[in-house]
Amino acid sequence: MKTEYAIQAKNISKTFHITEDAHNTVKHRLFNLFKPSKAKKVLALKPMDFEVKKGECIGLIGSNGCGKSTLTRILSGVYPTDTGKININGTTMLMNLGVGMSHELTARENIYVASSVLGLKIKQVDELFDEIVDFAELREFIDTKIKYFSSGMKARLAFSIAVNAGADIMFLDEIFAVGDMKFQEKAVRVFEMSWIKGKTVILVSHSMDIIQKYCNRTAYLKNGELVYYGDTEHALNLYKQDNQIVVEESLVL
Amino acid sequence: MVTGIINDWAHQTNKLERLWLLAKIEFKLRYYENRLGLLWALLKPVMDMAIYYVVFKIVLKVDVPAFASYLFIGLILWNFFVESTSGTIQILQTKKYLYEYSNMNKLEIYISTLLANTIGFGFNLLMFLIFYNLLEPESVGLQFTNLWIPVVFLNLFILSLGISLILSNVFVVARDVTQLWGVFTSILFFMSPIFYKLAMFKEALPSFEYLNPIAGLIINARRVLMEGVNPDFNLLLFDFFYGIFFLVIGFILLNKLGSKAAEKI
Repeated sequence: MKTEYAIQAKNISKTFHITEDAHNTVKHRLFNLFKPSKAKKVLALKPMDFEVKKGECIGLIGSNGCGKSTLTRILSGVYPTDTGKININGTTMLMNLGVGMSHELTARENIYVASSVLGLKIKQVDELFDEIVDFAELREFIDTKIKYFSSGMKARLAFSIAVNAGADIMFLDEIFAVGDMKFQEKAVRVFEMSWIKGKTVILVSHSMDIIQKYCNRTAYLKNGELVYYGDTEHALNLYKQDNQIVVEESLVL
Repeated sequence: MVTGIINDWAHQTNKLERLWLLAKIEFKLRYYENRLGLLWALLKPVMDMAIYYVVFKIVLKVDVPAFASYLFIGLILWNFFVESTSGTIQILQTKKYLYEYSNMNKLEIYISTLLANTIGFGFNLLMFLIFYNLLEPESVGLQFTNLWIPVVFLNLFILSLGISLILSNVFVVARDVTQLWGVFTSILFFMSPIFYKLAMFKEALPSFEYLNPIAGLIINARRVLMEGVNPDFNLLLFDFFYGIFFLVIGFILLNKLGSKAAEKI
């Protein structure tokens, strides 16, 4: 049987050019035509292959600054890759604290726009609409522009849209930190019920328990390098080992 | 590369729906936010027209027959062009929320915004037709050649989309393109036969209507709407060529620069 891939990436890498004096205008470029720019290259991701099968739940672990977020952005098609090729089948959603929303639009408009971007038809949004509103607990503010919302309300709305609409491929970056305890519990329940089955999920988390509980396979990143990609247990062990050494070293010092 | 964008765009079934949804919301945002609402969309060309009419007809005594209508049609075409180019330079910044979390095709953002402008243009054109046929004393009435106007407008749409793509993607690497284009549009405005008599324009700037696509479009719009003759096909062909040329460059820039918008803006 042929396996269907949600994402196939071959030899992808990413380098960021960080300049102190950004040549952001025509004027600046003209005046500094002969001055070499002092761009600092940061190799955020070393060349790697990465593929995700349809319906899989993939974990992504690594310490801060190791390239997890960069990798999710490339795999979701938000950033272009510098080398290699990437094939994405379906709509993607990059979610750290929800979906993209415009502050100029009302909650209702944002629900429609965001769900549509995630690949839903207007009819489907009509059906889901009440569910999204009730889940976010924002019934009485539905026609208010979200620039007047508190940050908690915004987060709840964004999360609710993401949870209920859902793209084909979801990148979840530390999502279990939204809202109060009650809301978190609700979120986890939806996550388990509808996403683990049926959707392709890439889960970024520092919580070992969450990765261990949900992921079939896990990738371990270290300094922009894909150290290991496969069995979750093994990846977590590698991660723990590396971190232990750091802790011991700091103790010696 | 270009076919890649188009293939990807046509692949998903909810895309047309989404374009329309985004266009409607964009249109609403623009006109329903202020007190006058939709009235403002209709009022603006009328007010522009009144100003130019006073200056050129009453003060400078230009002798163009049906001058109010002459101005009106020139201005609504020009306004669409300016709104769709100057108005969209920063589109990748203002609409960032649409593409920074997903792999939505950026081309849709452009098309939906231009569709919103098209709705506005439609209202303006309707106003023009009412004005021309009911109020203009020198009107030649409705003609079959009026049916050419969608073709002329399609040309304007393609041209505006192409230039919009070029400007907004250059904006990703050069922010002062806004100012440069501002200067350029005011030159272009005076280089287009919006309020001059066409013969005067042709005498002063021979063959210039072939160099300036906006001039050609305005000339053809007047031919089909006010003179009851077919468009100048040479000119129309030239302008379609310009439109498609800019559109191709726009696509190339969207691929080269626009794809990096999420990290650069």
